[in-house]
Amino acid sequence: MTVAAPFFRLLWEVNWRVAQRRIRSVREQSRLMVVVIALFVIGYWVAGYVLFRAGFWYLAKFPGLGGLLMDRMLYLFFAFLFLMLIFSNMIIGYSSLFKSQETQWMLTLPVRHTDVFRWKLVETMLLASWAFLFLSAPFLFAYGSIRNASAIFYLKAFLLFLPFTMIPAALGSLIILTVTRYLHRRVFKWGLFGVGALVIIAAIFLVRPMDATQLQQAEMISSMNQLLSNSRLALQPWLPSYWVASSMIAWGEGWGGRGLFFFLVLLSNALMAVLVCFHFSTRVFYDGWSRNNSQGPLRLGVGVLDQEIKLRARTRLLERVLGLWPWMHPATRALMVKDIRVFWRDTSQWSQFVIFFGLLGLYVLNLRNVSYDWNNEFWAGFVSFLNLGASSMTLATLTTRFVYPQFSMEGKRLWIIGMVPFGMKRVLLEKFWLSSAWSVVITLSLTLLSSGMLKLPTWMTVLFSATVVLMSFALCGIAVGIGALFPNFGAGSTANRYDNPAKIVSGFGGTFCFVLSLFYIVLVITAEALPVYFQVGGGGGRPWGVVISWIFVSLLSLVAIIVPMSLALKKVGEMEM
Amino acid sequence: MIRTEHLTKKFGGTCAVEDLNLDIAAGEFFAFLGPNGAGKTTTIKLLTGLLKPTSGRAIVAGFDIQKDPMAARRLVSYVPDLPFLYDKLEPMEFMHFVGQLYGMPADAVERIGAEMFDLFDLNESRPKLIENLSHGTRQRLVIASALLHDPKVIIIDEPMVGLDPRSARVVKNVLKERSRMGVTVFLSTHILHVAEELADKIGILNRGKLIAVGTMEELRAASGVVGALEDTFLEMTRTQEELETTP
Repeated sequence: MTVAAPFFRLLWEVNWRVAQRRIRSVREQSRLMVVVIALFVIGYWVAGYVLFRAGFWYLAKFPGLGGLLMDRMLYLFFAFLFLMLIFSNMIIGYSSLFKSQETQWMLTLPVRHTDVFRWKLVETMLLASWAFLFLSAPFLFAYGSIRNASAIFYLKAFLLFLPFTMIPAALGSLIILTVTRYLHRRVFKWGLFGVGALVIIAAIFLVRPMDATQLQQAEMISSMNQLLSNSRLALQPWLPSYWVASSMIAWGEGWGGRGLFFFLVLLSNALMAVLVCFHFSTRVFYDGWSRNNSQGPLRLGVGVLDQEIKLRARTRLLERVLGLWPWMHPATRALMVKDIRVFWRDTSQWSQFVIFFGLLGLYVLNLRNVSYDWNNEFWAGFVSFLNLGASSMTLATLTTRFVYPQFSMEGKRLWIIGMVPFGMKRVLLEKFWLSSAWSVVITLSLTLLSSGMLKLPTWMTVLFSATVVLMSFALCGIAVGIGALFPNFGAGSTANRYDNPAKIVSGFGGTFCFVLSLFYIVLVITAEALPVYFQVGGGGGRPWGVVISWIFVSLLSLVAIIVPMSLALKKVGEMEM
Repeated sequence: MIRTEHLTKKFGGTCAVEDLNLDIAAGEFFAFLGPNGAGKTTTIKLLTGLLKPTSGRAIVAGFDIQKDPMAARRLVSYVPDLPFLYDKLEPMEFMHFVGQLYGMPADAVERIGAEMFDLFDLNESRPKLIENLSHGTRQRLVIASALLHDPKVIIIDEPMVGLDPRSARVVKNVLKERSRMGVTVFLSTHILHVAEELADKIGILNRGKLIAVGTMEELRAASGVVGALEDTFLEMTRTQEELETTP
């Protein structure tokens, strides 16, 4: 019989070997990708460190309040991180515990269910937390550097992360275990949406940044009061984020005893949370797993509200909506219905999509708190173009992550659409129009909303709206075109290997698509920002500069659409199935 | 070796397996047949403990799979229709991993693994990563790994899909040989001639119900059809569907 320790050791060895080979294969597969990743990591850390340090430095200068404000930032940061980690653990934990083929296989081995759960909990914790650790590193380094902390501070900060990530992992898993054991899996899907929406709404109303106008007008006390009172929620002493921040602050100040106290509070609670989670899992994990994999459709028992009826109604609705365009070829409509349905039913797709847009929505809605002095043209231009840059970068990430893999995902199914009489070109065009349509709807809404929040003048709102419409088409053109020119179908008949869009993106084509998209964005923003900059510098009165830049952006966008799309259309027209 | 008592599994309002009673002796080669959606894979998942029955129980290798799953799994091997493999491992590394999960010493894994590689013609694939193997080779590797720890019961779901004739012949021979050595083989398949060729006993499941069980001759007698298993199978499933749809 396999007992827990050798089982964990075996899995650790296998996963370590697999991880090493994965890294090696990335290195061997695409040098460009390695360079891009390395540049991104270094760029993010350097830029993040510089920006966070400047922010901390700004706060530190407030007479008498500097230290307090910096510490408050730390409390806020960890509180937000804590929420995000719970959410992330829930999403990854659900797939890993209840939907993974590996888990199913492990459950047939002579291994206790609880041991499978424990291994998967650790795996979930690592997968859900590493990115946050990576993203928060420059913030913590900036804090340490302002506090003149010694090297040992960073080691202690790193140590704090282990128990800190254990608590949201345990909480997230407890939620998942409860939901899967006692509720229907569709409730989980909608519940996740609900939790995500609640977190975003709570963040919008509870966390408000300072009013920059007030800062500029030197109404410091009022601003500080606003900040301190709005961030009080992060100071609840029962929050794990409070313990980790308190410990870090104490160690940063050189108060070893207090730092150790909070570290031990954190550690003991983390161990307790994991213990409760383990204990709970022995009772419900297997039941939840079996239940989750043997559920029929959700029935509410109320005739009209019955989920099955609703689903059927929604199916008809989708076809009815697309039927509003009678000139659309039936084959194109069928492809669109298929693509929308496949996307909606793939949990791994829409959950990431929701997180992306949740964060973007949070960013846009918080812009209402930024009311810069629009008489200061530098600030007006800077903030506006920063906003355009953030929106377009997010769009590029989305098109690379969700649109680029579309063609490769057809992979094994290409023979179906390849053999029907409308041809592969229509498939590619359908993907372009569908992705452009949703990109335009989403980015245009966000741009109009953010322009309103920033109180931008009408001409700038029109300019930015027109720009994001062009950018949506261009970025989708790049993603669909490169997706067909450099597809990632995978090798041979390896089962299900390239059904995962995240894996498809991680090849040469995905990297090339992202680099090209970024290059296009930089050109567009530079072209649009230059005349505004010179207008400001030269005292205004040169609107023709804006017109010329707009013509340039339009032509550039047309090139970005036409070149990759026509090459791709040519390629799929000659493609052998 | 495998016994089910009033085994029932419901998915919401749908009964996937209904009151299933089976008794398969040690060394028996049992073929489990049924149309698509009949409940074969659900039955297998109940036998391997992957799903919890709504009612009834399954006893595998002498142990109740729900009450004593660990003891049962030590003696059982399960090969699903879509098996899981670690893509970035080499075949022999995977064999070592599986062997150690069953508590086998490394030298025994090496020795038996080498025999399995010879038997299943896997030596050429030895230095490759699993991700680079063809479907048929992956399937052979999974079956080889399932036999590594010398199980007393083999539960195997659609093993012939994607295998070339030579590989299919090897798999059939190995399974039959194991059965002669006293291992119980529970094979779910759509390929009727495989069942006809190998099985000591055949069970036919339709719409969650076991509509017939017995030797080839017993099934022929029950259906009143003289000829190949295909005719018997079609007649039995058709008759049951007619009975169910008759008001």
